[in-house]
Amino acid sequence: MDQLLQHLLNATILGGTYALLGIGLTLIFGIMRVVNFTHGELYAFGAYCMYALVMPLGLNFFMALVVAMALGALLGATIELLLLSRLRGADIDTTMLVMIGAWIALQNAEQLAWTGVALSINNPFPSEPLIVGPLSVSWNRVYVFFVALLLILGTYYLINRTHLGKAMRATFQDRDTAALMGIRIDRIHTATFALGSALAAAAGALLGPVFVVAPTMGDLAAAKAFAIVILGGLGNIKGATLGGFILAFVEELGAGYISSGYRDAMGFLLIILILLFRPTGLFAQKERVG
Amino acid sequence: MLELRDLVCRYGKVTAVKGLSLKVERGQLVALIGTNGAGKTTTLKAISGLLPPSGGSIWFDGVDITRASARKILSLGIAQCPEGRHVFPYMTVTENLEMGCYLRTDKQEIAADFERMFEQFPRLAERRLQPAGTLSGGEQQMLAIARALMSRPKLMLFDEPSLGLAPNFVERTFDIITNIRANGTTVLMVEQNALAALEMCDHAYLLESGSLALSGSGAELIDNPHVRSAYLAG
Ligand SMILES: Nc1ncnc2c1ncn2[C@@H]1O[C@H](COP(=O)(O)OP(=O)(O)OP(=O)(O)O)[C@@H](O)[C@H]1O
Ligand SMILES: [Mg+2]
Repeated sequence: MDQLLQHLLNATILGGTYALLGIGLTLIFGIMRVVNFTHGELYAFGAYCMYALVMPLGLNFFMALVVAMALGALLGATIELLLLSRLRGADIDTTMLVMIGAWIALQNAEQLAWTGVALSINNPFPSEPLIVGPLSVSWNRVYVFFVALLLILGTYYLINRTHLGKAMRATFQDRDTAALMGIRIDRIHTATFALGSALAAAAGALLGPVFVVAPTMGDLAAAKAFAIVILGGLGNIKGATLGGFILAFVEELGAGYISSGYRDAMGFLLIILILLFRPTGLFAQKERVG
Repeated sequence: MLELRDLVCRYGKVTAVKGLSLKVERGQLVALIGTNGAGKTTTLKAISGLLPPSGGSIWFDGVDITRASARKILSLGIAQCPEGRHVFPYMTVTENLEMGCYLRTDKQEIAADFERMFEQFPRLAERRLQPAGTLSGGEQQMLAIARALMSRPKLMLFDEPSLGLAPNFVERTFDIITNIRANGTTVLMVEQNALAALEMCDHAYLLESGSLALSGSGAELIDNPHVRSAYLAG
């Protein structure tokens, strides 16, 4: 029983970052119809920024997260302006190929800049875990969970309540009519890609200090992000949030009770099952974004 | 107020508008009629900046807006109520209206305009928190008109406002358009219902396969034998 509770706690905490990762990807797909293969690299980029800011530069740990997100947004905006803005109206295959190219280029650039050696980031939390009854969890993970939750709520607020968020939804629902309203479609695209990228970078910057930072870390993150997005239905933000938590629970319980060696495989097994039986995702609904 | 000079619009190799010239004077209600595929929607898209023309020019209040962005054109005072209504289906009625005044920053005036719209369209007021996609066709048309009005345009473009509406809503829609003009907004209206359009307009243009076939007052076109046989028969 205690063991089960511990697994559930671990899963909840992991689910927060998974949800964050999934929302960023699903947002870009929902609004821009772009399958973003660079998502995992932005995750890795966020982790590397965190490393560079905290370790060699000695920036405050909490400030570093904010800066890493801002840099993630900047890199996302650059990718959008440099590559995607020229591909408006191109078919989805072309865009996918270009994004796969960008993925490989980014990964290699990360390797060039930070070498292939795994790096670790110090965190300012007590090394003793937080113990509540039979459960124990590291302070860093508690922090990660609450920040992830805050960012998810912030994203919901942005999309549903702000001027920019409403313009994003309008653009997704009816592009030409959104333009008739005076919405600058190009800017919305850039802003959306920057937002999705910032969320990916945040996930990386949060999890970097929990694990280690390595150039290939983005690949697994991307695969999981895609799994989450498929679980929740493409373009569905609520679905991605729930999908993130579901993936975390399946992984954690699968690793705990079936085989820990197959932790990462559990999620993909789940995806295969879902694609077989509910190809539109678990929470398919008409409304995609918002 | 609005002038098209030799407007040419192409979709790839298809030329949809072939050198159209027309004028809309301030305060007028001008009708643009023609069969399916004549190029009416294309013309309105070009005016609104959704489709860059391949030739000719578009002038509004003495400003060349041929290559201006949709945003710029809206901010100069041209709003469009598009064909097929195109409300944002997953946004609420209120959010749709908010999109209509996306460029405005005068908060108090906006609040007053919301009140006015809800007064004028009580059905929208009752459904203000409902997603627009759940409204009936007629209600969606009201919303699309109200949304366009929220920008306080000087010139309103209507693309087939009566399309697909029940007869009572058709009449209601034409009444609203007549009202909008009476309140001082200039109107350029594309309409399949040629008789209704010709009866209510000051001036009309007949478009056939992308070119101007006829123009004149509504009454003149109604009396024209070609118009009678091709557009008003039955
Ligand atoms: N996106 C497009 N791509 C290619 N051709 C198009 C496109 N839109 C319109 N056309 C063509 O341009 C011509 C004019 O179309 P347009 O929509 O302007 O006609 P319309 O007068 O508005 O007709 P309707 O009464 O059916 O609305 C048609 O031949 C149409 O097939
Ligand atoms: Mg049309």
